[in-house]
Amino acid sequence: MNISDLQIKLVPLMISVVVLTSFLLVGLLHKVRESSEYGLGGRSTGRLGSGAAIASNWMSAASFLGMAGFFYLYGYQALACVIGWTGGYVLLLILLAGQIRRFGKYTAPDFVGERYDSPTARLISAIISITISVIYCSAQFKGIGILFGWLFGVPYATAVTFGAVAVISYVVFAGSLGVMKNEQLQYTILIISFILPLMFLARKLGYFWILPQFGYGAALSQLSPEFRESFTLPFAGSSLFQWSALCFTLMVGTAGLPHVLSRFYIVPNIRDARWSVVWGLFFIALIYWSAPAYAVFARLLEFKSGEAVDPATARGMADMIVITAATKGGLPLWLVGILAAGGLSAAFATVSGLLMTGAASCSHDIYAGFLHPTASEYRKMRVAKGCTLLLALIVYLIAVNPPGLIVEITAVAFALAGNTIFPAFLLGIWWGRANRQGIITGMLLGVLVTFAAPLLGGIIPLVAVIFPITSSALCGAPLVILVTILVSLMTPPPPERIRRFLATEVHGHLD
Amino acid sequence: MNDKPWSEVNLLRPKKGYMGGEVVITLVILIGWGGATFGFQFLQKFLETTAAGENIFTRFTFFNLPLNVWFTGQFLPLWFVILCIIYNLYIDRLTERHSRTRYPYEHQ
Repeated sequence: MNISDLQIKLVPLMISVVVLTSFLLVGLLHKVRESSEYGLGGRSTGRLGSGAAIASNWMSAASFLGMAGFFYLYGYQALACVIGWTGGYVLLLILLAGQIRRFGKYTAPDFVGERYDSPTARLISAIISITISVIYCSAQFKGIGILFGWLFGVPYATAVTFGAVAVISYVVFAGSLGVMKNEQLQYTILIISFILPLMFLARKLGYFWILPQFGYGAALSQLSPEFRESFTLPFAGSSLFQWSALCFTLMVGTAGLPHVLSRFYIVPNIRDARWSVVWGLFFIALIYWSAPAYAVFARLLEFKSGEAVDPATARGMADMIVITAATKGGLPLWLVGILAAGGLSAAFATVSGLLMTGAASCSHDIYAGFLHPTASEYRKMRVAKGCTLLLALIVYLIAVNPPGLIVEITAVAFALAGNTIFPAFLLGIWWGRANRQGIITGMLLGVLVTFAAPLLGGIIPLVAVIFPITSSALCGAPLVILVTILVSLMTPPPPERIRRFLATEVHGHLD
Repeated sequence: MNDKPWSEVNLLRPKKGYMGGEVVITLVILIGWGGATFGFQFLQKFLETTAAGENIFTRFTFFNLPLNVWFTGQFLPLWFVILCIIYNLYIDRLTERHSRTRYPYEHQ
């Protein structure tokens, strides 16, 4: 490919570069000055700022691009994602947040290893956490590839290669300079870049633009009656079981996602950590109230132009629909550029966080924790750097031929978390008798259940019905919990010091 | 070595005191969470008049949205925020009450 073949959208590209560079520069300043002067940033902002950080940590290409695309395709069925990804925070708050903080272990492998007193359980949970990161990152790479394809005017395969090089450079640069994330600032930029173009789009199309989250209802009523019915009736495209399975899977997956769980240690005290969840959830909901509007406006523009989009074509363009709606709606290129920059920022931030923590887990939990316990710090650092590149390569290879929509790929990561990490935390916190034999069996069963549809669905079709690849946790998580309980009861209890610690420090700290 | 008396942690048989209060509010919130989320979908299924799910909620609109879409897509996320606020207020009071019992002089 020659440089002349590129059809670069210069203004959006420059906006994207400026936004990403500003993250790095602010991160460097943040590192030097220890926060507080930037955006919403700093300790002085307390719960509000911590909530913005929770939301920023959460925002990814799935929220920014995938959600609208899924709603564009499936209408009401896609609301399972809105509910799953917000309702999961309720589970997280009431079942785990305060308790895991009192337990005092910072990562999923650390918690599982300590609570179940088992290096094997720790190793399994580390491998699962890394797998979750890889799957999650694959969806981000797809989003980056789509946006790079639009920015540079190149086919997806080329774009994802460009994107991979850019994001790995970003990760290496940020990592080598020790850039600290200013998540409050990131959230501010993300929410503005998502909602501002939506307000302009609603205004341009003649709808209530001050709160386009409500304004899109009028646009929905202008779609053809047949399409509107299929779009909004609850079981037009799926069954009650499919809706509930997807929703429940995303909920328990949210509560079991390693990088979400570890957020609660960053806030200074438990009370602030709990209240920051309320703000975080509100900030996340702002995006999820808005995403369906992009999808409805895209459908309306198609309907008005008389454009008949067949289902296969619609699926092919779904993950791009936020940008498509803005472009077809006649928004100026700089505004679409802001939208694209927001999507890229969300994906870059997620990838950099997950790759670095995944690589750290490879080095800390697997290499130093299991293979070479006496390894030096220098050696562990080198392993972590090598693992960053290795994980990025795996992610790239998956993303070149993406196995599904951004939301579908992401949902598999949630299903894996919901079937493995969530039961390990839930039982680990709330049932002192859960032991290492139980949880090792449970986590391995959880992995099997997550991938049962592609592995066994061809031989036993019922398996693919009960454990759909994107929604396996509705039946999977209760099954894993049940098996863990049975195996635990059939084997010796965990050491007394752990059960005592759980009773007196995690649940009896004020008795 | 921690020598406080202790009994096995079990969500279904919580010990009296802080954990008992924590479990009660957790169960109440879980009912509010699951009832609104899945209960509403079951209700729609129960009331459906066509295979696609047409029901009383799909016939009315709110903010120009079919009532079922408004409830699921817009109200439920707000409901989750409300549930979290209720939980936090209750836990704050519970913590305060038990802190007073345990450290009475600090609260005089």
